[in-house]
Amino acid sequence: MTNMRMTEQDLGVRENKIEARGVDVFYADTHAIKAVDVDILDNTVTSFIGPSGCGKSTFLRCLNRMNDTIPICRVTGDIRMDGNDIYDRSIDPVQLRARVGMVFQKPNPFPKSIYDNVAYGPRIHGLVRDKAELDEVVEKSLRKASIWEEAKDRLDQPGTGLSGGQQQRLCIARAIATAPEVLLMDEPCSALDPIATAKIEELIDDLRTSFSVVIVTHSMQQAARVSQKTAFFHLGNLVEYGDTQKIFTNPEDQRTQDYITGRFG
Amino acid sequence: MPGLIILAILAIAAVFFSLSRARALNVSGGQLSNLHSRPFYHGLYSLLWVAIIGLGVFLTVLFLGSNLINMLLLGEAREAFPDGSTIEYQLLMNDARAIASGGIPSRVDTLREALAGKYATLENIYAMSLLILPAAAALLTGAVTLRQVDVNWRARNRAERVIRFILLGAAVIAVLTTIGIVLSLIFETLNFFNNIGWRVDKYLFGTRWSPLSGVHDGSMDADKVGAIPLFAGTFLITIIAMLVAVPVGLFAAIYLSDYASPKVRAWAKPMLEILAGVPTVVYGFFAAITVAPFIRRTGESLGLSVASESALAAGVVMGIMIIPFISSLSDDVINAVPQSLRDGSYGLGATKAETIRQVVLPAALPGIVSAVLLGISRAVGETMIVVMAAGQGANLTLNPLEAVTTVTVQIVMLITGDTEASTAAGPAFTLGFTLFCITLVLNVIALRVVRKYRELYD
Repeated sequence: MTNMRMTEQDLGVRENKIEARGVDVFYADTHAIKAVDVDILDNTVTSFIGPSGCGKSTFLRCLNRMNDTIPICRVTGDIRMDGNDIYDRSIDPVQLRARVGMVFQKPNPFPKSIYDNVAYGPRIHGLVRDKAELDEVVEKSLRKASIWEEAKDRLDQPGTGLSGGQQQRLCIARAIATAPEVLLMDEPCSALDPIATAKIEELIDDLRTSFSVVIVTHSMQQAARVSQKTAFFHLGNLVEYGDTQKIFTNPEDQRTQDYITGRFG
Repeated sequence: MPGLIILAILAIAAVFFSLSRARALNVSGGQLSNLHSRPFYHGLYSLLWVAIIGLGVFLTVLFLGSNLINMLLLGEAREAFPDGSTIEYQLLMNDARAIASGGIPSRVDTLREALAGKYATLENIYAMSLLILPAAAALLTGAVTLRQVDVNWRARNRAERVIRFILLGAAVIAVLTTIGIVLSLIFETLNFFNNIGWRVDKYLFGTRWSPLSGVHDGSMDADKVGAIPLFAGTFLITIIAMLVAVPVGLFAAIYLSDYASPKVRAWAKPMLEILAGVPTVVYGFFAAITVAPFIRRTGESLGLSVASESALAAGVVMGIMIIPFISSLSDDVINAVPQSLRDGSYGLGATKAETIRQVVLPAALPGIVSAVLLGISRAVGETMIVVMAAGQGANLTLNPLEAVTTVTVQIVMLITGDTEASTAAGPAFTLGFTLFCITLVLNVIALRVVRKYRELYD
């Protein structure tokens, strides 16, 4: 499986979607992220791993400026998407987030019907002209998130009535419907059972054909299964970044070696 | 005197607490683990029973005693003076009491003197028994519970059961009081309807309210008890108040919960809550002295005729009074909407306004609806502001610039007016009961609405 993916990866030449250089993040006086450089490739799944509190989620939230919603948080350094500085004053974080979608750790469907949950993004961004088009986007997104079969007969029922795994797939469908270029996933499977996790991992692999996916995970097996690139964070530093296979089989840094063999973390 | 007796009973209870505890320690033979219950519970068990029995006997003697004296004297009086009216007997008793206690009776004769003597003796016995009976009962109970102290005596379980019954009693008192109030409202209402010859339709749909005009013999004219103008006035003022309070309160809550910086919130929220602490009397004269003349002047400069006491003035001030209730409660429910929902919406590229309108407010809706309904019940029942600022004439109009009257104002006028209370109580209780029914229906509807949305949004 891994081998097949590696060949697949070698076929296409991928461009940098997001380039981060010298990124520092402070929560009030706490220095949470220290001088991190990362390139996120297009049409690639990149996983961020590391022990709790190492700053991987914080860094993920820099990529769509979700940290702006936290008053005490300050981000410095340079993050470019398609060559444009996303922290430039001319960039509206609202528009940026439409291009960089996000799926959260805990499923958070809105208190609306399943249909309205998925239609939320297309509606606020005016992506569709009429009801028929919206129906199509909703169906396509639900299909992509592989929840269409379970949800098609209950589209008008509240999204909160679904099971945890279904809710998380609904949230992924909701993120897909906005047609983002990058999809950020913050431990999307941590609240799910193994079956739902497998479904979502499969889904992530499919999504790679359309977007660049960045996933934060605590499960090293998951990182190995779904990603082509892996970044290991420790105490706010990016310790090592490279091809997933290399990180898990032949890491350069001793700390990476210790973490993936379970010696700490 | 009664205060001293209560204190004495409590002191006896405290004494038996320490006696029982000491006895429990004693029978344990220094080995506490021998006891089923800790010494404290043995003490507590004694204390509870002594206090309950002592106070129970005291209250029984207190209430039964004076009634018993009255009954005995009344029997005496009837024997000596067979066919008098109730009022005559009452006068007789009052005089006897006055003579006995050195007051000024209406008249002094032999029957009254005899009754007074009897009264004085009975009163002495009563005072003695009020002193002795509760103390004796308390001591006896204490002795019994003290004897029960034993290694295997389950004092903890029993004490806890007693406490459970005390709690139950408190709950029962609250419920019974409510039932009692409702029943008394119903009886007075039925009595009033009987007085107007069961023309309930005239009361509910009539448009002329002047219940006490020309009332001499207690019977009322069904044509003059039409409550429509009062309810129309109440609802007109309520609507004006809610038109002020709901938008301002809700927007203030949204600002405080989602836009204000922590610093602004830290002083703005307490300020709003101070507004809730202003006594309604203050709002009332504020409405009557400041707002009403202001509205009148403004209206006149626009060429409108405005009454000096207008529904608008009362409604606006009442709305201001209700703002803090709506804003404070809504702020709480809006804050209770999980941050994860907001994050989810921001993560899809929604703006703050879109997030609040489409995600936060729908999720907070049940709470906001109940806040608004609470505001409405306050507006409907509010009295002080409307007494001062709304007017007293029952005037059926929907023009907010005219004076209207409300249900609460009319109740105040009936009760504080110089008509005899028993006559005025009829219409007052009936209005109160109708108001109660309306608020009840509102609350039931509110609960239904909230439950319906809760199914959707939880």
